[in-house]
Amino acid sequence: MTSNKNQEGLIVWNFDFAFTTFYEIETDAIEHLVSKPLTPIEVAPGVSLLNLIAFNFPEGALGSLPEFQELILSLIVTPDLSRGVPKSAMYILSLGSTNQEHLDHCASYYKLPVFGQFSRVNIQYDPLAVEYEDHHGPIVSMKNIHPRPEYGEGERYFQAFVKDAGDIYVADVLMKGSLFEHQQAGEAGKMWNHPFFRGIDVDGAEPVSFMQMLNRPGSPGQQFYPRPEKFT
Amino acid sequence: MPMSPNKSKLPAYTDYTYDMFMSSTGKDHAEITQFNQWREEVIAADMYTFQIPHLGAQRPNVSVQRVSGEELDLISFANYNYLGYSNHHEVIAAAKQALDMYGLGATGSPVLNGTFRIHELLEEKIIEFFGMPGYGVSLFSSGYGANLGVVSSFVHKGDYVVLDRLSHASLVDGAVLSQATIKLFKHNDVDHLDRVLSRLDHKNTRILICTEGVYSADGDTGHVRDIVRVAKKYGAAVLVDEAHSLLIAGENGRGVAEEQGVLEEVDMIIATFSKSFGGVGGCLFAREPLTNYVNWYARSRMFSCALDPAVTGGLIKALELAAGPDGKTRRERIQSNADYMRSKLQGHVDIGSSHSWIIPVIYGDEHISIPLSDYLQREGLDTSLMAFPAVPKNQSRIRLFVTSEHTRDQLDQGAESIIKAAEHFGFLLKDKKT
Repeated sequence: MTSNKNQEGLIVWNFDFAFTTFYEIETDAIEHLVSKPLTPIEVAPGVSLLNLIAFNFPEGALGSLPEFQELILSLIVTPDLSRGVPKSAMYILSLGSTNQEHLDHCASYYKLPVFGQFSRVNIQYDPLAVEYEDHHGPIVSMKNIHPRPEYGEGERYFQAFVKDAGDIYVADVLMKGSLFEHQQAGEAGKMWNHPFFRGIDVDGAEPVSFMQMLNRPGSPGQQFYPRPEKFT
Repeated sequence: MPMSPNKSKLPAYTDYTYDMFMSSTGKDHAEITQFNQWREEVIAADMYTFQIPHLGAQRPNVSVQRVSGEELDLISFANYNYLGYSNHHEVIAAAKQALDMYGLGATGSPVLNGTFRIHELLEEKIIEFFGMPGYGVSLFSSGYGANLGVVSSFVHKGDYVVLDRLSHASLVDGAVLSQATIKLFKHNDVDHLDRVLSRLDHKNTRILICTEGVYSADGDTGHVRDIVRVAKKYGAAVLVDEAHSLLIAGENGRGVAEEQGVLEEVDMIIATFSKSFGGVGGCLFAREPLTNYVNWYARSRMFSCALDPAVTGGLIKALELAAGPDGKTRRERIQSNADYMRSKLQGHVDIGSSHSWIIPVIYGDEHISIPLSDYLQREGLDTSLMAFPAVPKNQSRIRLFVTSEHTRDQLDQGAESIIKAAEHFGFLLKDKKT
């Protein structure tokens, strides 16, 4: 059931840091950002999920690129189970990085909605936390809530949807690594109103973490990310 | 050998959780295809423990037939026949008598031609049981229908429903159906409820707060008294779903609202007849003008057949017994049995903070749910497992529903099997600490 339909144009990205938080957000605030036939998945009536993934790619992750950091903003949407049964499906809204060449590649190859280059990224292993900012100011500080992560080798299949020039594209993405996920309650950081969030008002509210997913900091992980194909 | 530490050895079907088949975009209904493929894989592995037929009544000893045809004799900790009235001889006799008199079904909407004299008798008995003049009863053919109909007829578009985060699906669905704006407060967190209410236009808008007597995931009790206090501050109405607590909690079995001394301050009590009453159905107990209104405007009542008359006859008898010395004895016994079961499990496995007759045994990792359920059944236990997304990740649990009818020997055997399973799957407390 996890077999990925399309693996054409596959690129394997080696990372040594991956940390994601699924934040709860009112559906009314984000529904308009998702293109039909996709719709936000609600985890409670009126409550959808906004996802932030922070990556660190060491030198050589793609060709001769130096080490760089990435941040992806997405909304969790209905998957297409005819492709397989993913952990979740993401509708990607924004991507930033510390490397312009990487951004150019993401825009042309993956049709990802590139936001721009970050001026400062701070990644901390223990306690696990990240901070991103650019010339507009701070974007997000995100921290792991769980006091004792128990990592285990595993893989997760995701569907990544993007919209480009009026069309929706999809890619079947597989992540492998030393992974841990949890739903511990607590303070998961702060988001600032920033153009990276594409108009979503994230400021002022208490950001509630629905779930967090971590790769053991510093341990090698892989992201299998094929070229997206046209969905609609 | 503990199984849980090495997830890579678990079969592929254990990777999937309920939410993953919930929806799919596109016209081909791929969720149906994928779900059935998953189900077939579990059946092919002879690990399918869901929806298997029970071959007799819901007693502490039950017989079941697995998909393979194999029959197993089990000790049941999975049914809600808390006080044993489902198969009490007097209850059965009363049901048979009603069956002879009224026939198999009510064959009509309660508002139109489906109400029988026996339904009115049940209403009168419930009012008498609560001892609150001026109150009325609105009967429903299911507990789910009661919550659905009551919530959606009490609030509408423009109003608010404020739900405990762990509210039962029937309350959530009632709130969705009402088209009112839904707000959630952290489970039993009255300060958070206060903050949520303070942000609403409480002066001009109707607000309904929903809580429960006993929550079935953790076996903990709703903070009804504190919720009532905060509700008054904002002029909000309070609904308490006493599905798992009526006839058991409180000095007279009138539920957690009685136990916490706020029975008359609660606006709506929801009862479910499929648990301690041992039958099926549900009702709203509230001031009479409200029940009169709900009788007409709760669509799940108006457009459902009235309660089955035979069941109604049985419910009346169950209530008579529960209201008298028999009920008192059974209430004492279920409390004592639950305390005993806790004492047998405490220190061996994580049983949360339950003080009720619902005892969760938290095994954590949802990936072991199917193998664990199969293991427990083969060890002779009928149990009810609850995993993500019904409970948070790594908080999956076996729910043990202790009844007044369990013998000490059955409780001993049950605890022994649970501890054996914990050893096998690696969720003994001593394993967790290391």
